[in-house]
Amino acid sequence: MLELAVGIILGCCALGAGVAMIAGIGPGIGEGNAVAKACEAIGRQPECKGSVTSTMLMGCAVAETTGLYALVIAILLIFVAPNMLVNILLGVIG
Amino acid sequence: MKKIEPTIIKETLYILVCVVILSVLMEAVFLFIRRWDYTVLLGNLLTGFAVTLNFFLMGLGVQKALGKDEKEAKKIIRLSQVYRYLILIVFLVIGVVFSCFNNWAVFVPVVFPRIAIAIRPLFNKKKGVQEVVGDVVPQESQEETKEQIQENTAQLEQQDVEE
Repeated sequence: MLELAVGIILGCCALGAGVAMIAGIGPGIGEGNAVAKACEAIGRQPECKGSVTSTMLMGCAVAETTGLYALVIAILLIFVAPNMLVNILLGVIG
Repeated sequence: MKKIEPTIIKETLYILVCVVILSVLMEAVFLFIRRWDYTVLLGNLLTGFAVTLNFFLMGLGVQKALGKDEKEAKKIIRLSQVYRYLILIVFLVIGVVFSCFNNWAVFVPVVFPRIAIAIRPLFNKKKGVQEVVGDVVPQESQEETKEQIQENTAQLEQQDVEE
């Protein structure tokens, strides 16, 4: 029974990590669109290249933050949460 | 090797300075709550370096993508993001697996670049509008441009009517 409980904990943690990493798809698409539009803008006005690049870099970094949060959550779920949860389970059982 | 654009170096330096300042603040907080030891410093150094490297690599990816057409630029950025995530995963996993790194000190610096970007408008306000916007177009030439656009539009409309 204990093995089953531990297996469920590990499986749910892995599943949660996988679901969390879905959030990593969004920033990739968003950054790609931003850079594509920036290319278009620079093509129209090449003299604005510096300011467009600077603004876009900051925009990309902001867009990427959500992906990084998801990554942190996934790593916590894989490496930290299972030990904690199994310890709690063992503590409850005694 | 292609030369790195000064804008990317400037922005990376800004992020680096902010990460260093925020790291010092974090160390101070750990000292204040009496949880500071060498593991905090090591974890902080590891992730601080990782996030700064991540930003710099993103800049390089953007620089590479800027010269291409739209579809290729999208592909380059997505590929760059995958590689950067892999690098970050390696750093974070090292930080979690080895006990010589404090877990909190490994994960907290991940949000430092976001904080640095959030506080950036405060510094830009002091510099003034002219520097932030870049090449500001004078009011007279703006009006001239507007007139030219109106003239061109009128000509195009006339051509359409004639056709």
